[in-house]
Amino acid sequence: MVVRRVRTWVSILALFIGLPATVAAQQTVSGSVTDASNGQPIANVQISVTGTMLGTLTTQDGRFTISSVPTGARNIVARRIGYATARQDITVSEGSPAEVTFSLTPVAKTLEEVVVSGVGAPAERRVVGNTVETVAGDEVSQAPAATSIDQALQGKITGAVISQNSGNPGGGVSVRLRGTNSILGGSEPLYVVDGVIVDNSSDALVSLSANASRGNTAISNALSDLDPDDIERIEVLKGAAAAALYGSRANNGVIQIFTKRGRAGETNVTLRTEYSLSKIAKRYDLNMSPYAGYADVQYGGADSIGEPIQRWDIQDEILRVGQGTSNQLSLSGGSGPTTYFVSGGYDYDQGIVRNVDYRRWNLRTNLTQRLSEKLEVGVRGSYTDSKANYLPEGEQTPGVLTSVIFTPTSVNQFFDKSTGRYPYNPLLGPSAFEVMNNFEAPNRVTRMVGGFDVTAHPTSSITLKYLAGIDDYRQDAKFFQPPYSRAANFTGSVENPVALSRQFNNDFTATHLGKLGNSFGLTSTAGFRYASDRREVVRAAASDLQPGQDLVSGATQSASQSLTELRTLGFFLEERAAVADRLYLTAGINYEASSAFGPDERWQFFPRVSASYVMGEEPWFQKSLGNTVSSLRLRAAYGETGGQPPGLYSRFANYVDLPFSGRPGLVASTLAGNDSLLPEREREYEFGFDAGFAKDRAQLEFTYYNRHVKDLVLAVPLPPSSGFTSQYQNIGELTNNGVEIALNTVNVSGQNFTWRSRLSYARNRGKVTRLVTSADTLLDGYLNAVIEGQPVGVFYGGIFARNPDGTIATKATDLVYNGRDTTVMLPYRAQDVLPSGAVANASRIIGNPEPDFVATFGNTFDIGRRLQIGVLLDGRFGNDVANFSKRISQLFGADKSNEAEISGDTTFRAYTLNPNGRSTTYEAYIEDGTFVKLREISAALSFDDPWVRRFGAQRLTLRLAGRNLYTWTDYSGLDPEVNMFSASTVSRGVDFATTPLPRQFTMSVSLNF
Amino acid sequence: MTTRTHFGSAARAAFRGALRGSLALLVALAATGCDLDLENPNAPPESEVISNVDGMYTLAVGMQGQYANSIDDYLTTNSLGTDEWGTRSKALISYQEMFTAPAIDNSYLLVEEPWANSYETIKSANTILANIDQLGLGTGLRNQFTALAKLFKAMSYGMLVQQYDQVPITVGSDAAVIQPREMVLDTVLALLQSANEDMQQVSDADIAQSRARLLGTGFDIRNTVSAMLARYSLMAGDYQGAIDAADAVDPNVLSVFTFPPPTRNPVENLAFQLGYVGALKSFVTEAEPGDQRPAYWVNVTAAPLPANPADSIILPLAKYSLPDDPYPVYLPDEMKLIKAEALTRMNEQLDVAADLVNEVRTQTSSSVDEPLAGLSALPASDLDTQDELLAEIAKQRRYELFEQGLRWEDTRRFGTALTTTPTVQFLPIPQQECLTNSSHPCG
Repeated sequence: MVVRRVRTWVSILALFIGLPATVAAQQTVSGSVTDASNGQPIANVQISVTGTMLGTLTTQDGRFTISSVPTGARNIVARRIGYATARQDITVSEGSPAEVTFSLTPVAKTLEEVVVSGVGAPAERRVVGNTVETVAGDEVSQAPAATSIDQALQGKITGAVISQNSGNPGGGVSVRLRGTNSILGGSEPLYVVDGVIVDNSSDALVSLSANASRGNTAISNALSDLDPDDIERIEVLKGAAAAALYGSRANNGVIQIFTKRGRAGETNVTLRTEYSLSKIAKRYDLNMSPYAGYADVQYGGADSIGEPIQRWDIQDEILRVGQGTSNQLSLSGGSGPTTYFVSGGYDYDQGIVRNVDYRRWNLRTNLTQRLSEKLEVGVRGSYTDSKANYLPEGEQTPGVLTSVIFTPTSVNQFFDKSTGRYPYNPLLGPSAFEVMNNFEAPNRVTRMVGGFDVTAHPTSSITLKYLAGIDDYRQDAKFFQPPYSRAANFTGSVENPVALSRQFNNDFTATHLGKLGNSFGLTSTAGFRYASDRREVVRAAASDLQPGQDLVSGATQSASQSLTELRTLGFFLEERAAVADRLYLTAGINYEASSAFGPDERWQFFPRVSASYVMGEEPWFQKSLGNTVSSLRLRAAYGETGGQPPGLYSRFANYVDLPFSGRPGLVASTLAGNDSLLPEREREYEFGFDAGFAKDRAQLEFTYYNRHVKDLVLAVPLPPSSGFTSQYQNIGELTNNGVEIALNTVNVSGQNFTWRSRLSYARNRGKVTRLVTSADTLLDGYLNAVIEGQPVGVFYGGIFARNPDGTIATKATDLVYNGRDTTVMLPYRAQDVLPSGAVANASRIIGNPEPDFVATFGNTFDIGRRLQIGVLLDGRFGNDVANFSKRISQLFGADKSNEAEISGDTTFRAYTLNPNGRSTTYEAYIEDGTFVKLREISAALSFDDPWVRRFGAQRLTLRLAGRNLYTWTDYSGLDPEVNMFSASTVSRGVDFATTPLPRQFTMSVSLNF
Repeated sequence: MTTRTHFGSAARAAFRGALRGSLALLVALAATGCDLDLENPNAPPESEVISNVDGMYTLAVGMQGQYANSIDDYLTTNSLGTDEWGTRSKALISYQEMFTAPAIDNSYLLVEEPWANSYETIKSANTILANIDQLGLGTGLRNQFTALAKLFKAMSYGMLVQQYDQVPITVGSDAAVIQPREMVLDTVLALLQSANEDMQQVSDADIAQSRARLLGTGFDIRNTVSAMLARYSLMAGDYQGAIDAADAVDPNVLSVFTFPPPTRNPVENLAFQLGYVGALKSFVTEAEPGDQRPAYWVNVTAAPLPANPADSIILPLAKYSLPDDPYPVYLPDEMKLIKAEALTRMNEQLDVAADLVNEVRTQTSSSVDEPLAGLSALPASDLDTQDELLAEIAKQRRYELFEQGLRWEDTRRFGTALTTTPTVQFLPIPQQECLTNSSHPCG
């Protein structure tokens, strides 16, 4: 049945492609585009011929040429983000080339921008009833020192909470669109590059920050394999209505990335080279008291408290000013029906921790060939080879930064000539320098992402599109610990996992444009998508290594393998009605099956509807409010999407190994299979408006959304007398609702000075509304918990016992201190009998890592014709951070505050090595992580003077820029943005010896030829 | 420019080729790519495990492993709740409460594990019993599978009923109803008798043929079935049945669970690797002078271990100190003591009972690894009443069957004949069972 339907589409496609290209009279149309405010030429203006597939972009000097335009009356459109769209009717006649000139008026934002929006056919923004955020490619490629696309998007998408989880180059970034939408599943959006679904999995292959057994904790970033320089445009589909086409993978939204295409005309060569410096913004403030404290005595640094002692702050020896370079050469152009974009790049970045670095080679070829007026084919592909050298940090006991705070500062970690090696750290095993110099943790990825597409216009009203795409990569990770490095009896170990991932998708879409009279248009889209993912991990490991062996070659070797596959097949239909070019109604349905679910629940419907009403173009509106409100659009959308279960084989009753008595054995897993699992289902409605003021020089976007996710998969306890202990069931529910507001303005637009700005504000309120039982507290990581009535991931942990007046209850405790018996006041412990009226220490909710709201303020200033300045502030407000770095450094006497104890403040024994004291009362370590970062600042000077031409170039641009140059925050740790648990769904906001985001300065030169 | 034109036409040709290729691909995918029934390649599904004899062998081995790996869970409650073990300072709070507190929280893992592990073993046994006949095996092999499954199922119920007052018998639903002890013990005996009958049709050659795959080395199924029949007949009050079954056990054979790497003796893991428990020193000091058995079980010369609570004095254990030490399924002298007790309780042939007790007291050598008391025989006058005999049997059981998971039930059966009373009478039904079992087993 399914197969037959597919075959029908195939035959339709084949029929049209087989048609010979018709040869009609053609002519070249060329022209130029300038800025109406200052007469300067505008580059990258999209020029298209209405009703055809013909189009191009303007060059740096604002020129364009379109060949082979059919003769007759034609409508030429010029579109550019930041300018009002302009149209001109011309007559193309055989014999004389046509010339068109456009003068575009700067506006804040326009409804005429074309978006793909996850629906079948591209459409102008005015048509689409759901929010689609777009980010122009130059905003991404010019983001200073950004090695990955998601990092470059920080501060540019209203409502997205984008966090760089660590300051390692090529490191992981987590993106949350409209809150956290799962509990056991993932929470990162789906990424689609030129229609190809790409893998953004963040499962760690080796434990380098958080343990790999915790989900989604990779410190590497799968998206860093795409060069931001290749990006033409990014569309972010935050809501369910927009993302519904991606069915059971779309609960967390979709980020669609479009890479650059060539344009017909002259060959455009761009050469860009960048040099960067990275420096830590803040260091740990350590205990440098000249006298010994309690922890120093415990770990052998001193015999008694108070005696003179030597201390070391090893941060100078561990940290460095990292250098980096980024280089790209691209060629684009085209002749006649062929256009191409070819690029190659090389990036190298040193981390701020010595011996951490990242390098990437990448190549891209995008080719488009028009075979006839009715048929166009394209091939797009990129190849990347990246290699990062990482070092352990976070909760890994040999972590380099970990050992700065997890060790009393009296422990000497430097090379010991008498033994010929680094001394052993009494707490962690290896010295920080041993780890830094002799451990190896590379992560190498070779990756091909590419697609092949065919677009056919068998008639002027029908468009057929086929796409086959693949994302194929191999990731080799390694963690090598040399023999004798951790202890005198440590025999060395090496782990060498290799992940082989292949994602394939295959889409076919047919679109029909219909018109009923002059005022009613109907766009119909139908299609299917088949996608298959395959991920295999082969893991080899060895111990008992000899010095010099750093591959899996030791005396004791082990290997394991795992394989997961997912296939989805979906059919979709969409109808879009345009009434009088003002009211647009869209309804669509995606009927999709996923192999993760049992046959009875496999096929699922994901519907969506939306409406957009361009009220501002109603004559009555223009008459009444038109002078103040230059444009107004009302929109509303409803959609449903799905989420995958936590394991792709959760539906089966799987058997697990239980060897016994020297023989292989199998027993049923205590996790019962569930053949009736469903996708987690998200239902969301949103409504809002886009209003332009002062001739669209200011544009306000407002969106309210309300999202309800039900059927969340949770492990439901079963009666143990059944022989099972739990089963995944669709039980949980949560909600997210919020508002997103963006104000885009052209503040000044004059002959020599233009100032544009973008102010955004977004708040999200998440709440778990149903768990298996209302009393459940599902703990994840350290303190993050899932509790009914609370946002996902609130901090839940121990608090001090309280006196009736709310102060912390303390009791006199006898201790030996400085060689004499003293009595200190320590907080009550769990087993102590409390004074009457006091409330025992207990666990309760002590913080929320989700921000109250996020806000960004971006500005660009064009000064004269040469200088452009950009400033981007990115802020997060009201988010709590669990400062485990502080906790652990106080516990081991390494923190500056521990000096108080040594100088005689006995109450401080509440901190140092007192497991019943402050270290388990986590409320002491929850801090307000509100921050505003100077995310980006840049100054670019462009020259197109004759002296530049002497180099053979048309334009030369010099840029000075910085990333994260300054942070305004009250947080006492190094960086409130990082998270040791990387992209974990539930565990957020935990700072534990995680590399902070560095200050980065870049200088770049680009040449356009 | 000619080069561009050339490029254009070359690209054109390439595209046409690619187009043809991709169309072929599209057709192929549409025809074949829609198989959405993916099996889990990482773990076999049940259907595969039960469909052939190789899968059934691994399931039978897994079932044995499930029971053997639960020994520490059975012992934790048995030995800590009585006068065998104390908790070291490293032990979890739940272990300390099992040792000291009059009531124990039903959410502790220590309460849940004996329950959950037993039912997991029972489920494996049920899977074997339900599916073995579809394989069409010969009786000699088929009956080994069924007897083994019935034996482990019976032992699991038997262990359950020693830990919890009432437990469900019918499993596999979410509304399993708890049943009184007598009914559970009847089920145990019925299973063991049935296993015994199954084994009648199995020859020694049959056992030898499948031993490497099914029973492994060290495990003696015939003697174990009889020994368990004797043990649980005694508990159920079927004294003649206990005597008959005990008589069928060969005293010179030891049936053990073995733990070659990567597996590990769970008692060694608990006492040595984790270091949670030690023997109460009173076990040594209360022994009859000259009894060699305390030194078999306990490191009597070692300094006391740091204990929590600190006022208990505990010594390191001596037995099961290596990860691959085998653990006996039963000890041969248990049979003598079962017979002696059964006779005494029937008040018949008390002289025979006294002789059996003295055999245990005076044993100085054995062909197998078992404790040897090396005491002198008691005069007949000291063992000629029921009370005298029961007191002496209880004492011999304490020293002969240390950390064999039987002491808790002994305290119930011997009552005043013992000097100890357990901290808790029975474990409560685990919290998860209370909350999820729709028959409301906890009221």
